[in-house]
Amino acid sequence: MAGPYVPGATVYHFILDPRDGRTAYAAAPHGSEPWGPAVYRGRAGESLKATAHAPKFKDGSGLAVTRVWHLEPGPADEPETIYAGVEPAALFRSEDRGETWGDIDALNYHPTRKDWQPGFGGLCLHSVLVDPRKPRHLLAGISSVGTFESKDGGRTWTTENRGVRAEFMPNKYPEWGQCVHKLAWDGSGDGSIFQQNHCGTYHRGPDGGAWTEVTKGLPSDFGFPIAADPNRKHTAFVTPLIGGENRVFPKGQMAVWKTANAGKSWRRETKGLPANAFMGVLREGMSTDPEDPIGIYVGTNTGQLFASRDEGESWKMIANFLAPILSVNAGVAK
Amino acid sequence: MRIPPALRSYTRGQDEVVLEASDLNAVLRALESSFPGIRDRVVDEAGTRRPYVNVFVNEELVMTPLGEVALMPGDVVHILPSVAGG
Repeated sequence: MAGPYVPGATVYHFILDPRDGRTAYAAAPHGSEPWGPAVYRGRAGESLKATAHAPKFKDGSGLAVTRVWHLEPGPADEPETIYAGVEPAALFRSEDRGETWGDIDALNYHPTRKDWQPGFGGLCLHSVLVDPRKPRHLLAGISSVGTFESKDGGRTWTTENRGVRAEFMPNKYPEWGQCVHKLAWDGSGDGSIFQQNHCGTYHRGPDGGAWTEVTKGLPSDFGFPIAADPNRKHTAFVTPLIGGENRVFPKGQMAVWKTANAGKSWRRETKGLPANAFMGVLREGMSTDPEDPIGIYVGTNTGQLFASRDEGESWKMIANFLAPILSVNAGVAK
Repeated sequence: MRIPPALRSYTRGQDEVVLEASDLNAVLRALESSFPGIRDRVVDEAGTRRPYVNVFVNEELVMTPLGEVALMPGDVVHILPSVAGG
């Protein structure tokens, strides 16, 4: 094990840019908490340095960025483009590897914004999907607000929450207000998407439209991460927790649940994972690598990192005694 | 102005810089023009001082909005984080 690369900081998200396999980015406060949010960049395996500027709202907006929660590499043919999802919920784009940032106005000042309400985890934009087939096709997930989609590079956005439950709302199926927890492309490569929500697990097909709830077969409808197998269609992994009021594994058994058919059925995998484990997995706490077969990696909020080399059938703890794990990202360094 | 260790990456290691400004907001603007990005560490984009960042003039903690604090020649401005923990 090597690191830490941003010593002392609470690192909300850490990624290896798959476009070059060399550049690492981190979202963390500058130095330590008091100095505000920052984006760090550097060569993978070396200490990272804060970029010149963190994402900022426009002057006069009355808004101020408090945290950067998520960093998402842009399209393959724009190697200097990176997106940042922040709190309070907003999306920013940098075209110079995080040195300066632009505000995605149509989402950040969306007409519904005045009614956005933070959930327990704050009003955070934590999921960004950039379509590898159509770089102008973007999705963004905001806790307790829902999923938004743009097909024109962020100029216009639509709410995309049909079929998704919001049990905490008087209308259980509102246009927006759903508490999306994580979005992930289906490895089918046709634009299908998986979603883990506060209220269930979902899949949306290649043509968009309504989501199909696929929670049946899982032990609960609550969890944070969802990670897909990039090489196998309709294959994804989730880590259900008891629920919003008790964010630990059911019956104290750590388990990763796998589907290979877009959520029609789920298989519980526990081999090598601990019992008497009253802990959970946070939003960015699971990742798959691009190898075939893939590796899957899950970090717990009690500081253990588990890995599977056989597509989830068995697991091995590969690190222990870490701080609570906020972010796991797997990639191939070049 | 005294620069805390966490912000010296902006000032290329300098722990003290001399600036000309009539109030604390002007000090931050002057600092920013020499060391881009550093102002954002003290105030957010809405102009609000970050909650755990303290500004002192000489040895007096500033409790009022920064623009209301006039400066005299020779004043020493300190930027320091609050003690973390308890």
